[in-house]
Amino acid sequence: MTGHDVSDTVPLRADLVIEYPFIRTTGPVVGAFLTGLREAVLVGIRRVDGTVMVPPVEYDPVTSESLTEVVEVSSTGTIVSWTWVDPPRPGSPWDTPHGLALVLLDGADTPLLHGVLVDSADELATGLRVEAVWRD
Amino acid sequence: MGSERTAVLGVGQTHYRSTRGDVSMAGLVREAAMRALADAGLEWSDIDAVVIGKAPDFFEGVMMPELYLADALGCVGKPILRVHTAGSVGGSTALVATSLIQGRIHRRVLTLGFEKQSESNATWALSLPQPFSVSINAGAGGYFSPIIRQYMARSGAPELVGCMVAFKDRQHALSNPYAHLRQHDLTFEQVVEAPMLWDPIRFSETCPSSDGACAMVLGDEAAGDASPRPVAWVHGTAMRSEANNFPGRDEVSPQASRDCAADVFRQAGITDPRREIDVVEMYVPFSWFEPIWLESLGFAERDQGWRMVEEGATRLEGGDLPVNCSGGVLSSNPIGASGMIRFAEAALQVRAMAGDHQVDGARVALGHAYGGGAQYFAMWVVGADKP
Repeated sequence: MTGHDVSDTVPLRADLVIEYPFIRTTGPVVGAFLTGLREAVLVGIRRVDGTVMVPPVEYDPVTSESLTEVVEVSSTGTIVSWTWVDPPRPGSPWDTPHGLALVLLDGADTPLLHGVLVDSADELATGLRVEAVWRD
Repeated sequence: MGSERTAVLGVGQTHYRSTRGDVSMAGLVREAAMRALADAGLEWSDIDAVVIGKAPDFFEGVMMPELYLADALGCVGKPILRVHTAGSVGGSTALVATSLIQGRIHRRVLTLGFEKQSESNATWALSLPQPFSVSINAGAGGYFSPIIRQYMARSGAPELVGCMVAFKDRQHALSNPYAHLRQHDLTFEQVVEAPMLWDPIRFSETCPSSDGACAMVLGDEAAGDASPRPVAWVHGTAMRSEANNFPGRDEVSPQASRDCAADVFRQAGITDPRREIDVVEMYVPFSWFEPIWLESLGFAERDQGWRMVEEGATRLEGGDLPVNCSGGVLSSNPIGASGMIRFAEAALQVRAMAGDHQVDGARVALGHAYGGGAQYFAMWVVGADKP
């Protein structure tokens, strides 16, 4: 193969900044979850098979039936699995090293991914009990 | 072996509104899909695949929403396909779904278009800055108004033809319970006196911003024969596209539009569209596109389409070629659904299920959609009789 050597060519660059405030209509199920967060209450949705999903979804992921039974779950739960973030990255929930964990809230059948604030990775473990801390 | 005969088994629409604040996107598409299934007398388990369309993702800022919508559309474990052709997408989406039946890939397909314009701003989205290009923030109206002026100049059409179209479609919308704009007290004078937005396009001559979804269930010949309700048979389908800017382009009557119409009418065995088509649902987001497309589609000679408007030929009451009996895009515009609404309304007409905006005895109908800079075209001809 032959061709021009472009290794020294500076590619054209242009900034493209897109900023726009989208609006979301959350509907009755996701809306209930978000309203719960505002009121320091965690809710899930009861599926057709009786299990509870947190966060809730509007339609059963297996049968596609409409799900309407919003149920409150506990603010405490158990870590199912976890990772340690060090150093924290732009957009991380904290600017200090922290955990990210799948937390199975008491009363829920699906785990929720959330940040966990402890001092070191040594303090994190599968099976550790954790509790939600609400913003004032 | 030719292609499989395809039938429209069911149609479902949401009411079109400026804001459907009570439902999420998933809830919105669910509503239309459930109504289409009910109309077809079918269940989720009867559906083999879903073909979905909407306007570009950045309109609402949800990337690939079809993935999140699969649960709402009973599509877990089934194929789902997304179609992208700007404003014509509702039509193109229906045609892709049809092709899956015609090609005997699937027996029953749910197809759906939607938009939640209340979560976005289409004019802003259409005016995004592009790298290495100058943005003039024209939006759709700014883009199309010079084309309309070109049509007015070359055809010699009287200045108020556009207002006549807008007034007619808003009158038609009063007979369609799903229509967004239902202006019972609107007068022709109010249409004429409305503020000028993009000269010569008045505020009254533009489409609204709507939330809504439209769905259809399509089936093969056996499914059509077994349907409990009348079905619409697909007699022809065509899509064409071209660049929106090249030397010598006829922007008023793009070649892609003319080629698309010629193809769909050839498939349907139509040689005199004005006589053989009973009713048209045409994509008219700005009033003047009715005479423009009447000509481009072959319903009128070049530069004569405006005469059909002036003579009332396109009116539901007394016209020989009623156009947009549903009220059209000028009365409801959930962008990603707008093309599918045209196709679905054409099907409802030949099924004799269009309610108060039914054209008596309609047997053959054209559904039409266009998008982008009048560069993407999708059309189908549907009939009461099996082709």
